Amino acid sequence: MKGISHFLRLQELIVRDHNFIFTIFSFLLILIIYLNLSFASSPIIGTAATLVFFMINGIFLGHAFFEKETPLFRLMFGTLLLIMLLGFVGWLAVIIYNLDIIRFTLVLFIVTTISSLINRKVKNKNVT
Amino acid sequence: MSHSKQGLTNILRVSEILYLFLIALSFFLLFLSRAGEAHTVWEVLHPVFIPTVFVATSLLLAILLTSEKVAHKLPFIIVHSILIHSLFSIVFQAGDLSGQQITLGRTRLVYDNAILHGLPPWTAETIQSQILVQFGETNFQAALSVVFARMFSIDFLWIHLFLVPVLWGAFTPIAAYLTTYTFTQNKKVAVLASLLLSAFPYATYFGAISIPNSLGFIFFFYSLYFMLKNLDSNDSITTFLMLAFSFFSLLSHNLTGIMSLSLLLLALAFKSYRDEKSSSITAKTSLVTSFIFCVSLLPLSLIFLRFFRPEGYAFFTLDKFYDLPFEEIVGLFLIGDLTYGFDLETILLNIVGPVLALLCMMFLIYNLRRNHTAKFRIHICFLFTAFIMILVDYRILKIFMYGLPLNEERLWVFRDFIAVPFVALTIYAVVSSLKTFLKETSLPTVAIAPLKALSKRSILRVLSLLFTLNVLIPVILGGWITFSLSAAYPHWTPLQTTWYELEAVKFIEENTSERYVVIGDIWTIYAGERIVGVNNPRAYYFLEFNKTGQDLFTNMRKNPSTEWMLLAMNYTDTTVAYFIITEPRLGEEFDSTVSNALQNDLKIYGPSEGFGNGKLYIFYHEK
Repeated sequence: MKGISHFLRLQELIVRDHNFIFTIFSFLLILIIYLNLSFASSPIIGTAATLVFFMINGIFLGHAFFEKETPLFRLMFGTLLLIMLLGFVGWLAVIIYNLDIIRFTLVLFIVTTISSLINRKVKNKNVT
Repeated sequence: MSHSKQGLTNILRVSEILYLFLIALSFFLLFLSRAGEAHTVWEVLHPVFIPTVFVATSLLLAILLTSEKVAHKLPFIIVHSILIHSLFSIVFQAGDLSGQQITLGRTRLVYDNAILHGLPPWTAETIQSQILVQFGETNFQAALSVVFARMFSIDFLWIHLFLVPVLWGAFTPIAAYLTTYTFTQNKKVAVLASLLLSAFPYATYFGAISIPNSLGFIFFFYSLYFMLKNLDSNDSITTFLMLAFSFFSLLSHNLTGIMSLSLLLLALAFKSYRDEKSSSITAKTSLVTSFIFCVSLLPLSLIFLRFFRPEGYAFFTLDKFYDLPFEEIVGLFLIGDLTYGFDLETILLNIVGPVLALLCMMFLIYNLRRNHTAKFRIHICFLFTAFIMILVDYRILKIFMYGLPLNEERLWVFRDFIAVPFVALTIYAVVSSLKTFLKETSLPTVAIAPLKALSKRSILRVLSLLFTLNVLIPVILGGWITFSLSAAYPHWTPLQTTWYELEAVKFIEENTSERYVVIGDIWTIYAGERIVGVNNPRAYYFLEFNKTGQDLFTNMRKNPSTEWMLLAMNYTDTTVAYFIITEPRLGEEFDSTVSNALQNDLKIYGPSEGFGNGKLYIFYHEK
């Protein structure tokens, strides 16, 4: 029970994204993923950074589109939408040129920005 | 909390822990079964694996029938689903020898930046063909796999192998849950449906291989859910998501895209029919017209595929009626490909779910025939029509068409997605009837009278009903799901990519700095696809069915000489050529080909005794 309430509080905190703190943290994670890919190639660092990245941006999208759903479905839907967005922007990069490390990092930046903006837009709409 | 309730909660927690332990054990047993040389998973699967899965599934079903929270039940189902879809990916070193390996060969080129502007790795014959491949096939999956591989920093092969099993395992149970819940509003039925999806062999098979079509099926299932939701809602987000998921199923694969589009049009027709104040003849006619149009969309799209794909030549024909015996036509009509030599168990496992669902749908529609205002009537009618549409389409493709670019049985996955909520509804109705019967007849007797005062007959009746509810039903359903696994994973396949084929391909890749070409049979190409991809200009493996590649291999097999190797190098603009032959693939010809190659002064590459204790030899020649 305690774990669930902690998770809900964390979700709330991420959705609020006060001063873009979680968006900036997402960008920081992208930097970590980029550095890991270029120098360390460690699956442990990559997996850890990716899971946190998925949690933040999944919650952004889940909140924007499935506010009325339960936390589990919100997170799952958010993750699925994030996967679709990653696939779509990645697909555009592949069609336009290729998906090397630089373009891949760019894909992550675009996806994070879109997720954050959608979250903010929905949040502002709910406030007004 | 009362003592009895606390006791039940404790039993539930213990069952959940035991279930998780059994799942962990099943994964461990799968890893123990990992084989470097096998034809099917059944050949090498640990003997304890199936009994463990059976016990775990039965236990899970018993948990699902309790009043445990959905948020606790669904993660258990997801873990179970991932397990049963991971057999190929864990047991075989390069996954299943099927479309997924071909897809891997192509997507690896994107990962290695060996091609620009996406797939295909060759120049398309026409601009339409280029558009079709770029926009409608492997590129979306390739992009997704590459993004994941780079994010996790994990070997691309692992990401590719587990992409669909994990996504399918995580998201299709939720789609099944939501679809079922939309029109039943019953959480227990919905949870049961999310597990019962594993009882459909074809759906399990497609969830186990990483091909674009499988990815498309996942998005299709969500588009179906949002279509259902959209039937009684005008919410813009629902409409947006319905269109978005349909678009993504099209982006993933043409077949799932066309089916999503067909159902989308059907859903819109149903919605406009519902919005009509009175069900006039015009409204009914427009509904029937929409149905006919939606049914014809898939066959017609396959005919018009030739506009995009020059090699496509699908057409309508009555040839099968003239050529095949009557019994075979009837067999094809009723059970499709299952008519060809499958045993009775496999046939039953494939058809029992859909038949149950069809009966349940007909029963519900019959019950609702006069109740036009029933809340979920429109949903049930829509699903029934969609189900019929898929049955009709399958028969058109199977009996009246020829030269299709796909296996018609793929349509069964759509059918299964629609069938699963109704199967769950039927089973739940049986369980509920038993529960009601137990409550009405036995429990008051137990509650009022002390157990000792009851007659032996009454005690026996109470115990047998409790046994049926809590043990027999979970065991039967658990047995059904476990048994379906045997029909889902093939029992006859060629030898999968072996460890020594992979070792040989890796050895060449690691020890060659120049551009090289490999002449080999299709199995060598599959192994090459795992490591470097196909048509890679730096490490060239011919496409699987490339005529030049096949001819070069045939010539080398008959007369292994430098002449063909030089020809291959000139053709592919490379400086080193390798020729790989494998004993289990070549059979009796192997020894004579090796001795001919040595007689013709071809040099052995790598260990002089070959790879895999002499089962594979590499010969090479440099310019």
